[in-house]
Amino acid sequence: MKTPKNTETRTWPGAIPLESLYTAGLGGQVFFKALKERGEIVGTRCASCKQVYVPARVFCERCFAELSEQVTVRPQGTLVSFTFSNFNRDAQPLARPQALALVRLDEASTVLLHYLLKVTDPTQVSIGAQVKMVIKPKAKRTGSILDIEGFVLA
Amino acid sequence: MPNRVAIIGVGCTPAQPTTPYLSFKELMFQEAERAYLDAGIEASEVESFVTCAEDLNEGLSIFDEYTPDQLGAVQKPMHTLTQDGLHGIADAVMQIQSGLVELVVVEAHSKASNILTPEWILDYAVDPVWNRPLGFNPHAIAGLEMNVFLHETGITPDQCAHVTAKNRTNALRNPLAAYPARTAPGDVADSPYAFYPLRETEMARTADGCVVVVLASDDRARAGKSQPVWVRGVGFANDSSTLESRDWIRAEYCRVAAQMAYRQAGIHNPGRDIHLFEVDDTYAYKELQHLVALGLYSRPGDAGRAVASGVTKPNGETPVNVSGGALGMGLTLEATGLYRVAELVAQLRKQAGARQLPHAKVALAQSWRGVPTTSGAVVVLSSE
Repeated sequence: MKTPKNTETRTWPGAIPLESLYTAGLGGQVFFKALKERGEIVGTRCASCKQVYVPARVFCERCFAELSEQVTVRPQGTLVSFTFSNFNRDAQPLARPQALALVRLDEASTVLLHYLLKVTDPTQVSIGAQVKMVIKPKAKRTGSILDIEGFVLA
Repeated sequence: MPNRVAIIGVGCTPAQPTTPYLSFKELMFQEAERAYLDAGIEASEVESFVTCAEDLNEGLSIFDEYTPDQLGAVQKPMHTLTQDGLHGIADAVMQIQSGLVELVVVEAHSKASNILTPEWILDYAVDPVWNRPLGFNPHAIAGLEMNVFLHETGITPDQCAHVTAKNRTNALRNPLAAYPARTAPGDVADSPYAFYPLRETEMARTADGCVVVVLASDDRARAGKSQPVWVRGVGFANDSSTLESRDWIRAEYCRVAAQMAYRQAGIHNPGRDIHLFEVDDTYAYKELQHLVALGLYSRPGDAGRAVASGVTKPNGETPVNVSGGALGMGLTLEATGLYRVAELVAQLRKQAGARQLPHAKVALAQSWRGVPTTSGAVVVLSSE
């Protein structure tokens, strides 16, 4: 077939109302309950490789062991990385860039991704900085990762 | 590698920002015809088919059902991998090495221009319990990774800018490239940040395209009329999918995949034994991170020094992405790895025109599945 002479091409639009539920799981339940009720950050320690996973989970991805030892870690840590995002989820430019932080809590082996609060510019931040976690007041907590407001430079 | 396998035919469209006249089926049909002609075979001779595609990128559920007709695969063994096309090459190699079949076709394509909400597809890949509620653009994961990668290796933003400049300039010599441009590192340094420290010019733009590759057993390849390119090794691996516990500095998926391929190919010193590299450069820093993981540099910082001093240019000691890579050719979704293979086949057959390297005999292609994944593959090819 030849390419049509006119420059109009036909396309049909498509969209689906896609909705899902996600199970937090046993590890997630433990984490969210502690966060919502006590404002605490709970992880699990692997008895064989000593990794401390935060948030809590029930299996160790390194040695494939089951994890049962819960540990409560302090809400402070080190900035492993950060970025300033100039675009939102819809690929639209943001008037104020969104700052995100990757933080290793002092007693954890893993990192946590969350907002970096009260900064507007990369020059205010450096990798290795000490940060503190900000947790919402109890009345506003719902049992979600958003019960954490983010991190602030210590 | 026991039971040798060869690539005996390739068909690929020029990568283009948009392909308004051809449907994905027509793109596939066109390149299948070209690949079968190149291989000197009829579609009816092919015994098994592997396509690589993601439902949400296609806008169709259970997309594998849509792939047989336009390849000549109706009433034949076929399946789809939700992976980059290099995984498809590994799959085909295993089918042939096992003795199950002698002639296998691998296909991947991109109609990225038809995806109206690509960021939402990526967002739907982000962990729904721990990460997605934060509501961030998933390319921010690359910004985070680049920042800590530079911090730990001492590689500089300027050295990353050299990657974009090299690849987009290389693409000028490649008629298949969608985004060729004479680019200097300073042009990149002057462009705005997208996800600090990642700049917009350091992110590969998507393109449409299709690649079909025909693979054959040793007997079949030697009996045919086409010029075979031999598969010396294949490897594939994942790191942890979990953002909380993956390696944020090293591309471990790439290192493990390379070790697997090197074992089969008998490669002990990749910098000396391999003459040409086509590696993933979805983001400019990724080219450097992947070269480190491929074992080219004993100190990671040397990857940055190498690109800045021209070692990885086409006329340098270790040419990387002579095709233009994804930065120069365009990011063609699951077909990205197969465009790397198409370039190596052209080079090893001495059919690469203005960008032909004179002495390339052993070459490597490497792929990564993009954010938020840690999935990669490596293929080592040789002309002998």
